[in-house]
Amino acid sequence: MTLTMTASGQTRARYPDEEGYLERDGVTVFWERYGEGEPTLLLLPAWSIAHSRLWKAQIPYLARHYRVVTFDGRGNGRSDRPSTAEAYDDAEYLADALAVLDATGTERAVLIGLSRGGRWAAELAAARPERALGAVLIDPSIAHVAPPHPWWTHPFDEELDTDEGWAKYNRHYWLRDYRGFLQFFAEEVFCEPHSTKQIEDLVGWGLATTADTLVLTQLGAQPASAGEMEGILRRVRCPVQVIHGDDDRLRPLAVAAAAAELTGGALVGIQGGGHCPQARDPVKVNLLICQFVESLGGMAR
Amino acid sequence: MGIAEATATAREQTRARYPDAEGYTDRAGVRLYWERYGDGEPTVLLLPTWSIVHSRFWKAQIPYLARHFRVLTFDGRGNGRSDRPEPAAAYSEREFAADTLAVMEATATRRAVLVSLSCGALWSTPLAAEHPDRVAGLVYLGPAVALAPPHPERAVHSFLEPLDTDEGWAMYNQHYWLRDYRGFLEFFFSRCLTEPHSTKQREDCVGWALEMAPETLIATELGLLSCGLESFERQCHRVRCPTLVIHGDEDAIRPHAQGAALAAATRGRLVTLAGSGHLPQARDPVKVNLLLREFVESIAGRAR
Repeated sequence: MTLTMTASGQTRARYPDEEGYLERDGVTVFWERYGEGEPTLLLLPAWSIAHSRLWKAQIPYLARHYRVVTFDGRGNGRSDRPSTAEAYDDAEYLADALAVLDATGTERAVLIGLSRGGRWAAELAAARPERALGAVLIDPSIAHVAPPHPWWTHPFDEELDTDEGWAKYNRHYWLRDYRGFLQFFAEEVFCEPHSTKQIEDLVGWGLATTADTLVLTQLGAQPASAGEMEGILRRVRCPVQVIHGDDDRLRPLAVAAAAAELTGGALVGIQGGGHCPQARDPVKVNLLICQFVESLGGMAR
Repeated sequence: MGIAEATATAREQTRARYPDAEGYTDRAGVRLYWERYGDGEPTVLLLPTWSIVHSRFWKAQIPYLARHFRVLTFDGRGNGRSDRPEPAAAYSEREFAADTLAVMEATATRRAVLVSLSCGALWSTPLAAEHPDRVAGLVYLGPAVALAPPHPERAVHSFLEPLDTDEGWAMYNQHYWLRDYRGFLEFFFSRCLTEPHSTKQREDCVGWALEMAPETLIATELGLLSCGLESFERQCHRVRCPTLVIHGDEDAIRPHAQGAALAAATRGRLVTLAGSGHLPQARDPVKVNLLLREFVESIAGRAR
C-alpha cells in the first residue's frame, strides 16, 4: 500500500509542519498539521474512497492564514483499514476527529467537511458544541432531508441485472470491477469540463484502498431517519456555512438548502459546480472558507 | 468580420489582468491591435506566432511578467482584433517583423526583450540581426526553424495538392482546411498539446483559431512557405544579443533538434523541458515564466 502511494506520489505546494499517528481502539489514524495561525481549521475526511489529499487545493492557501489540521479517514491513506462494518460507523469517524483534535492540542476548531464529511461536521458540532467554532458543509451527504436524485434508486446489496450508470453503485459490481466503478464515480463527481486531472486523482486515491474496505464503509451506521437527521441538524449551535455545486450529481442542491435551513446556516451555490467544488473551484471555495472564518471574528478568538 | 467579432465577444473570458493601455496602429493599411501591461523595466514583447491563434495564447505569462516588467503584446495580422489582409504575401515573416517594429514605435518602446513561440522565431531573429539596438535579448519557445529536419510524418503530404486521404498529418492540407476546418484544428492542437490534462488548452486554441477563416489561414501558410532557410541561417549568425531557447522534448510539431540547432546557431542557452509538447507556455506556465524572468533579469543590466 505504501509502495503504491509512493509510486504515484506527487510533489506538494506545501508540506506538513507536523505529522503523526494516533491509535484509538487499535485503529491507527494518520494526521497532519500545517501553519500556526488562529483559529484552527479541521479539514475532515470524506468518504474513504479518498484520503486527505482531497484537500490539496485548500491546504497551502488556508495554512498561510490559519492553523490547518487534517487526517486520513479510516479505510484509506496512511490510516488503518479495519475489517468490520461497525468500525465505519459515523460515531467512529467523529471519535477519530476528536482524537485528532486532542492529539494536536486543539481545543476548538472550525469543522470543514465535504460529502460525508459535511455530515460528520454537523454531527460533531451538534454532539460537542464546545469543540466547534463553526462548521463548513461542502456538498454534504445528508440523507432524509430532501429527495435524492431520481437516478439514485438501485439497491446497494442486491445483485442487479445491469451495470449501467448508477447501477454501478452496487457492492457486487464493486467486487467485480472496482476500477470500473471508480472511473464511473469520479466522472460523475467531476461533471465539470476539463476535469481529467481531478478524475485521475480520485481514481488513484480510490485504488489506495480496496473494494472490500469500501463495501464496509458503506455498511457503517449513519442517521437512519428524517427525524434523527433533522434533530441532529437542529442541535447545531455554531455558525454554519453550506457550499454546494448546483450540478452536483450525487446530492441535489435541495439537500444543502435543507441543511442550511435546519442548522440556521447560510447557503452558497457554486454555479455549474459538481460534487467536489473544493477541487474544481478551489479559489471560490477557499475565499468562501476564509470569509466565513473571518466572520467568526471575536467568537473565534 | 461581423460574425467573427460577435463570436469573439461571446467567447471572451475574464482575465487575471487587463491591459493598462491598448490601441491600434496602422501599417501600410493593415490595422494591428496591441496591449501594454505594467510599467516595469525592461520591456518584454510577447510576439505573435502563426496567426492560427492571437495574443491570448500568452495569457498565462502576462499577469506574472507584468508584475516585474513592462509587457507588450499584439495580435498578429490574420487573427484577433488585427486586420486580415487577403494576399499570401501579406503574411511573410518580413511583414510580421515590420509589424513588430510598428508596435514598438506606437508604444514608444526603444528596446525590448523579444519572446517568440514556434514560427515567431522567423520574425524575432531578423529583427535582432538587423536592429541590434532595438533588441535586448531573444527567447524562443519551441522554435519552428528549419535548422534541423522536421518530424518525418510531417514531410509526407503536400499542403497544396488535393490528397486521397484525411488521416493524421494529411489534414495539414489547404483542401482539407476548406472542407473541415474544425476537424483540422482539433487534430492540430491535439498534436500541439500532447500532455495529459490539456483539454482546456486545446479548447482555448480551437476557439481562437475559429476567430479566423480557413481562407485566411491558408494565406498565412502560403506566406510562410516562402521563407528561405539560407537567409535565416545567416541572420542567426548575426544575432549578438543573449538568447534562450526553451524546447519540450516531446514536441510533436517541431523536433527538439530544431531548438537545439537554433541555440547553437545563436550561441545561446538551451533549456529542455522533459515531457513537454509544443506549447509549454500554456501547459507549463510556471516553469516557463520563471525561466523568462530569470533570463530578462540576467540581461536587465545590459538592457538599461
